[in-house]
Amino acid sequence: MGRFFSKNKRELVVFLATLGMAAVFTIMNPAFVKWNNILTVFQQMVLNGVLAVGIMFAIITGGIDLSIGCTYAITGICVAWCTVHGVNPLIAILIGLVIGAVLGAFNGFLVTGLKLQPFIATLGTMSLYRGIAYVVTGGIPVTSVPDSYRNIFNGKMFAGIRFYVLVMIIIFIIAYIILSKTRTGAYLYAVGGNEEAAKLSGVNVVKTKYIAYIVCGACAAIAGMIMLASLGSAEATAGTGYETNAIAAAAIGGTRMAGGRGSALGTFIGALMLAVLKVGMVVINVDSFWQYIVTGLIIIIASYFEFMQEDFKAFMARRKNK
Amino acid sequence: MKAKQFAAVLCAAAVVCSGMAVYAEEFNPDQVEGAMTIEDVRAEFGEEVPVADGITFGGVMKSLSNEFWRTLEEGYHAAEDKVKEAGVDYSIVIDATTDEADEIGQQTMTSNMVNQGVTAILASPISDSNLTSAVEDAQDQGIPVFNVNDGLIASAEYYVGPNAYQNGLLAAEWISKQLGDEGQVAIVIGMPKAFAARERTAGFKDWIAENNSGLEVIAEQNADWDRQTAKNLAATWIQQNPDLKAIFCNNDTMALGVVEAVEEAEADILVVGVDGIGEAYDSIRAGKLDATVDSFPYYMSQVATECALRVMAGQELPRVVATPQALIDSENVDTEAAEIIGWTDATYVKAE
Repeated sequence: MGRFFSKNKRELVVFLATLGMAAVFTIMNPAFVKWNNILTVFQQMVLNGVLAVGIMFAIITGGIDLSIGCTYAITGICVAWCTVHGVNPLIAILIGLVIGAVLGAFNGFLVTGLKLQPFIATLGTMSLYRGIAYVVTGGIPVTSVPDSYRNIFNGKMFAGIRFYVLVMIIIFIIAYIILSKTRTGAYLYAVGGNEEAAKLSGVNVVKTKYIAYIVCGACAAIAGMIMLASLGSAEATAGTGYETNAIAAAAIGGTRMAGGRGSALGTFIGALMLAVLKVGMVVINVDSFWQYIVTGLIIIIASYFEFMQEDFKAFMARRKNK
Repeated sequence: MKAKQFAAVLCAAAVVCSGMAVYAEEFNPDQVEGAMTIEDVRAEFGEEVPVADGITFGGVMKSLSNEFWRTLEEGYHAAEDKVKEAGVDYSIVIDATTDEADEIGQQTMTSNMVNQGVTAILASPISDSNLTSAVEDAQDQGIPVFNVNDGLIASAEYYVGPNAYQNGLLAAEWISKQLGDEGQVAIVIGMPKAFAARERTAGFKDWIAENNSGLEVIAEQNADWDRQTAKNLAATWIQQNPDLKAIFCNNDTMALGVVEAVEEAEADILVVGVDGIGEAYDSIRAGKLDATVDSFPYYMSQVATECALRVMAGQELPRVVATPQALIDSENVDTEAAEIIGWTDATYVKAE
């Protein structure tokens, strides 16, 4: 147990900060800790959490994927179209996963095959994929998705918990296993930590990066399908700007933007913190304008925590030298 | 060092103040004195609109991937057909950006139309400022500019569009009637920077204040016109406020998200949107969405065409002409739009 804490000190700090935030909201409005509200927090962290765990894979390899919001929209649209036209919901979900994987693989191709900067490459696909979403739908939302599909994600288990919360938790567990228990995970960190060294020690860098972007695309697709179940309709504008929240969740959770470090647990807590913040500010009725400011400040402070922790000694040493 | 910081603070304060000053002087078509409806215009200047041969209008619009703008375009062409039926040589060329954010592209389109020498420009700008210089070029060449809905060009001579403030009034009035004028309500705002969002919200709240209504606004938050964000917001409100009776949304997309939250919570809450998109009509028919305020783009562009042609014929129209809008609920959802707003086609005649 002690080892778990010392290994995950960073996650622990963010988790305590999240609890502290929840405590503040509870003092201001005791209804914050009602079971239904706690459910709301977990439900509202799902989309961002699933997107964040995906983008974390890209970030760990030293990359980024700005196109996830658009992959999310395309998948939602295509799966909506399939289910409306009578395709079996489970097959539609498979199709959605394939779409996400293909769009992610295309990002991987741009980054490895054409050797483009990930930021620029996915900036391009962000516009490209959004354009496809517009062209496919002609700007008209796809509606009337059958309940047979919606209930797969949206249905309730015990205590009012919805299936998509479980889906998110499973995704985080899978991500945790890949990153900490498999060779692929070690390769992902190695590529992000020092690409040259990884290459020299025999890591297949191209394959590893493909895996990262495919996982990222697949996660975006799953988020898109959950959104579809939750709203019952899909439109080309869905997910605009969602990549920024996903990056924020990953960053708060301790993912290093330059690559080489990040954990499923950290990203989970990062997404949880943002959801607590979002729901809490609505519960205590903070003015919308101030929400932007508070959210921004929290992201900055959380990142500063990381800096303080990681380089505390070096930081103190530098101060002494001055 | 101190002095420098002080200077910086002063500069920042100056910038903030000047920004506020600009904001205060902003052109607001909803509050302009002497605004008329098209019925007023016809009563004042006569039913018949004389049209000279050889007029070509330039229509500048936004993304045709949006249903609203496609319908607006159809209205322009419907008006074109009616003018032609009167035996007049008239046409309108329409250009639209591919997305709703291409501000520079829209400016280029407008400049091209000026260079082509169109008779007048009917523009629906993306922002309040992106067409400013193109509009000035047009005016230098004596081409009048009609601002049709959306971004507000303060320097345009005419504004033709719906009264966003009235959207809010209509919604508040309807909710009050349904609830017997008492109960808690909440507002889902679009983008706070958008004129339409500010005005719709203000209209809604002012109606409640001015009528000493028993409605009580317990929460208002923005959801950036996003369906999922609006749903999340509503879900939180609903389980925090068991007495919430109605939610007013600044547009239909958000209202349709809120409807999902209401259904999931199995709550009895009225949801009202604005825009009158096809999906909203379907939702009202299905008994899910309760009402929407439609501003009828198909007729908006016909009014715009008629007003521009009247100005070409020398009539001195007011600065602002408000286009028809109406609240749609389960009672009139299947009524023809023309019947709801009492629409009659313009009477065009060939000018002598």
